[in-house]
Amino acid sequence: MCQNPNEQKINPSHFEGSTEEKQTAQEVDGGFAAYTQGMKFFDPHVHMTSRTTDDYQALADAGVVAIIEPAFWLGQPRTGLASFKDYFASLVGWERFRSSQFGIKHYCTIGLNSREANNEALAEEVMEILPLFLQKEGVVGVGEIGFDDQTAAEEKYYRAQLELAKEMGLPVQVHTPHRDKKKGTERSMAIALEHGLAPHMVVIDHNNEETVKSVLDQGFYAAFTIYPFTKMGNERMVEIVKHYGSERIMVNSAADWGISDPLAIPKTAALMKIKGISDADIQKVTYQNALDSFAQSGQINEQDFIHGLEIDQSLKFNGNTVLRGGQAPRVDKNSIFIR
Amino acid sequence: MKTAELIFKSIQRLADPAELNWLAGKIQADSKGLSLAFVMVPRHVSKTQVGNIPGWNWQNGTLDQLVRVYLLIHLAEKEDGKSRIETLFDTAEMNELVALYRALPVLPTPEIWLHRATDAVRSNMGPVFDAIAFGNPYPTTYFSELAWNQLVLKCIFNDKPIHLIEGLDERANQALANTLADFAHERWAAGRRVPSQVWRLIRNFQTDTKEQDIKRLVESTDPSDRKAAELVINNSPLEAWKVLEKEEKAY
Repeated sequence: MCQNPNEQKINPSHFEGSTEEKQTAQEVDGGFAAYTQGMKFFDPHVHMTSRTTDDYQALADAGVVAIIEPAFWLGQPRTGLASFKDYFASLVGWERFRSSQFGIKHYCTIGLNSREANNEALAEEVMEILPLFLQKEGVVGVGEIGFDDQTAAEEKYYRAQLELAKEMGLPVQVHTPHRDKKKGTERSMAIALEHGLAPHMVVIDHNNEETVKSVLDQGFYAAFTIYPFTKMGNERMVEIVKHYGSERIMVNSAADWGISDPLAIPKTAALMKIKGISDADIQKVTYQNALDSFAQSGQINEQDFIHGLEIDQSLKFNGNTVLRGGQAPRVDKNSIFIR
Repeated sequence: MKTAELIFKSIQRLADPAELNWLAGKIQADSKGLSLAFVMVPRHVSKTQVGNIPGWNWQNGTLDQLVRVYLLIHLAEKEDGKSRIETLFDTAEMNELVALYRALPVLPTPEIWLHRATDAVRSNMGPVFDAIAFGNPYPTTYFSELAWNQLVLKCIFNDKPIHLIEGLDERANQALANTLADFAHERWAAGRRVPSQVWRLIRNFQTDTKEQDIKRLVESTDPSDRKAAELVINNSPLEAWKVLEKEEKAY
């Protein structure tokens, strides 16, 4: 879809809204926050490692209270186990702390991603250290795993990690391939069922209009990634919710090092609101279903973030709040002065 | 009484039967089992506040931390205990790091963990830095002067309250006093300040600029700065500095 702002044609074929809705949507472009006042969001898929602190600030301002960061491919292949180990450790360490500074509760899923499953020698070593990380506090699932090129090696490690998830009673976050998506999605689900995983423990990610029906019919959670160009647009997303309702459907940003948008969820919520979707349905697809699916890990306590990040009592010392982890003072971005 | 026994008594007092039962099963494990148990603690043990433990310097910890420390003491006694604990450090999440650093002073041979302790001072994760810096006797006992000064300076740099550091006044030294004077000048040049209680660290030392610095404090609009000047000039005892023991913003 051409996203050139100079393109005069205002007719994305998938935009089924009324003339009135189109008008409103244009008016609020850039001012979406007015439509999401009081809403809280849970982004179950965002790669904050690849984002700046400005994004954390923006997420907090937009009402995102909790996020899940799946382990993924960093843009180029890792060549040794130590890189994986440090990456996993950063997901439960530094990134978690960075997030807490902005009052956002950070969880993660840990797994060997499909691309790097193709380096079998390294994959074997990674499999060895996965159980240690999967047991850690705040690790809410195995992810993101699944198929990319749909090779034999990808299948081997997808299966092995499904077994790990089953053994540990953890949800699974399944990445579905960009290419040959429909077949790859069906294959991912069939293999999960073959390994005896309950569909409600599996979140099938990156769905589109072509895959959603089968995913829901088989009892899996269906996640939609609102990501420019390559995945879903949020106008299409609104139509999906209109058609399929809000049961077991969730949206995420999957924001990463590519051209992506960490505010995808609040923006989609605003668009849903404008286009007449009920607040209850918006709440389910932008918060509750993500929470319910991954809380099956036993690692999410909504009380930790629903009222904003409470100060963890264990981080307090002599009642000294500076120990909450150094809440950064707010910087007024419009000020010309930098102090 | 040995620390491990003290800790276990507190655990017994606070834990419910299911938690105690879980721990009883794990404490017998081999080193691999103890390592995994350390990681799994929050899945089986609550974060109940511990409060103070008579006879041991442990303030404001939680039960899960206490159980982790207890497991670490046992792990450290195993033949491959050191390498297992090194792995725990390398793969730790934030709460694990806090427990590891709080455990250092009570492990069988604390001195072998010096490299880890100084790493914690370099950490940018607030809770990790705090775990080694505050209420922890490790730095004052084992840090070299250089490492000690780095700890105190980083604490001041990050606007954290230095009075929570154990051994703060006992380990004050000339090199630190010189560095702090330089640091205060930098802050002043930037239109900022240092917390008033920092001046307690130069009270027993002479620096090139001490006279001018105190004069500046005397003329400060900030009552805490004027108080600090008064305490230095009168050569007041340490107790008198208590009134300045607080968190202060640098600007």
